[in-house]
Amino acid sequence: MRELISDIDAAAIADTRARYPLAFAAPLPVRLGRWGAWLAFVVFTAYCFWTFEVSPVRLWAGSGKLMEVASHLFPPTVGEAFNDYLWALLQTIAMAFIGTVIASVLALPLGLLCARNVLPVRIAQFLFRRTSDTLRGIDQVIWALIFVRAVGLGPLAGILAIIISDTGTLAKLYSEAIENAEKKPVDGIRACGGNALQTIRFGILPQVLPLMLSNALYMFESNTRSATILGIVGAGGIGFYLADRIRTMLWEEASFIMIMILVAVYLIDWLSKLVRRRLIGAAPDTAGGLH
Amino acid sequence: MLEIRNLGKRFGDATALKSVSLDIPAGQMVGVIGRSGAGKSTLLRMINRLTEPTHGDIVWRGEAVSSLRGKPLLAWRARCAMIFQQFNLVPRLDVLTNVMLGRAAYKGTLPSLLKLFSPAERAMAIHALERLDCAQLALQRAETLSGGQQQRVAIARALMQAPEMLLADEPIASLDPRSAILVMDALRRINREDGITVLCNLHTLDTARQYCDRIIGIAAGEVVFDGVPAALDDATVRRIYGVAENDQRFDESATSTAAFDAMPPLVAVAA
Repeated sequence: MRELISDIDAAAIADTRARYPLAFAAPLPVRLGRWGAWLAFVVFTAYCFWTFEVSPVRLWAGSGKLMEVASHLFPPTVGEAFNDYLWALLQTIAMAFIGTVIASVLALPLGLLCARNVLPVRIAQFLFRRTSDTLRGIDQVIWALIFVRAVGLGPLAGILAIIISDTGTLAKLYSEAIENAEKKPVDGIRACGGNALQTIRFGILPQVLPLMLSNALYMFESNTRSATILGIVGAGGIGFYLADRIRTMLWEEASFIMIMILVAVYLIDWLSKLVRRRLIGAAPDTAGGLH
Repeated sequence: MLEIRNLGKRFGDATALKSVSLDIPAGQMVGVIGRSGAGKSTLLRMINRLTEPTHGDIVWRGEAVSSLRGKPLLAWRARCAMIFQQFNLVPRLDVLTNVMLGRAAYKGTLPSLLKLFSPAERAMAIHALERLDCAQLALQRAETLSGGQQQRVAIARALMQAPEMLLADEPIASLDPRSAILVMDALRRINREDGITVLCNLHTLDTARQYCDRIIGIAAGEVVFDGVPAALDDATVRRIYGVAENDQRFDESATSTAAFDAMPPLVAVAA
């Protein structure tokens, strides 16, 4: 007979629990471990708040000053150097573009070499992974400072900084995508007698290319934002003007520059959506949504 | 009783199902046969509304389920459970949780999101798994199970929904012959013992003949046969599968897996 939830009485529960105790509760040590981990997490979080003296009172007091600074930002004013801003913004976008293109190409072999399923050699993997860790472990701004020393002030230092740090970041993202790729097509190509490069090219790349493209396009957008910081340390672009206007307390002009950067980021986001749709196509299965 | 009236589905320019009308009395076990792409899956998926019909009505016990929206629609999906060819379990969750997710439509959202299941739900899940001979797998991750085991777990999940109807979309197409028998036997038993209407897409004709009270043949989006298995003759089978009358290479066993035919009944193996 069809069993309904209302058919299950206390006796049925007791009987089932006696036969399958673990279906009702995990063993005591496991439960203690889980509660302990949660407790440690909560205590550590609370400790961080306490030690940095983050309190509602301070946040409230700070918000008043924040409003004061914010009020200086209005109205945004173009000032007299609009052409310079525009030129510098284009320079920033170009830096981000060149840097991202080169980084995403360099990250491909590095990402493949970092992936467990492509190169199952422990020591090689260790070396390649630490290489990519190092590239991105040192922040872009630090790389920029180093390259400003090496090649002088200007966009070249910024481009080099983007290439180095993004190669590390993209290699990590690529290698994770590659490790999550389905094994079935790989077996398919191997069973055809495909060699290692053919297997990677046809068994893995078509699967991960859409994700790689998304990552690269996101890095382009992200680099346009962070290229402003590079400008602050002298590596070319709009950041130089932004830093200068803030230093000289020309807040209204600074906010105008920020708006220009925002518009550029929106545009890039919109363009990358078009590119993605063109190259990847709409996923057929999501047409109905979740319902 | 399930009444289907002029039900049709178009995907862009392609017509998956033209205009199908069927009456299925409660408690019947119905096999739907046809070539790949004939519209079998579309028919089943429209009944539980995973796919929206382009036109037509679906009426269950006098209620027009094809026009349900919101909560009543989710409740309807729970009332007509679905079994899939690829099992569609959540691979990373354990079997017990997968089965208890059959209660999704009956539970509050918050407790279900936090995986808080009552002792009664746990007991019901174990009972459902016991009926499918899978209770010993309760704490394993679903992805570690064989195909046959996963499909039986999926049936247990369906039982958790306390369904009035069971839709099975090619439930044995990815299984070995022995698992296929276990799964079909389970569906048959649930149909007989629980009085649950079963609608089952199959592409092995001998399975449909063996297990179903009634067979519906679909070709190119239209019902071309509807009757008891005995009434299904060679000419009709050829029409359903779109094979020329004079093509000598085709006979019923061509729709079956050879191993399935070659295998003696399980009872004989045991004896």
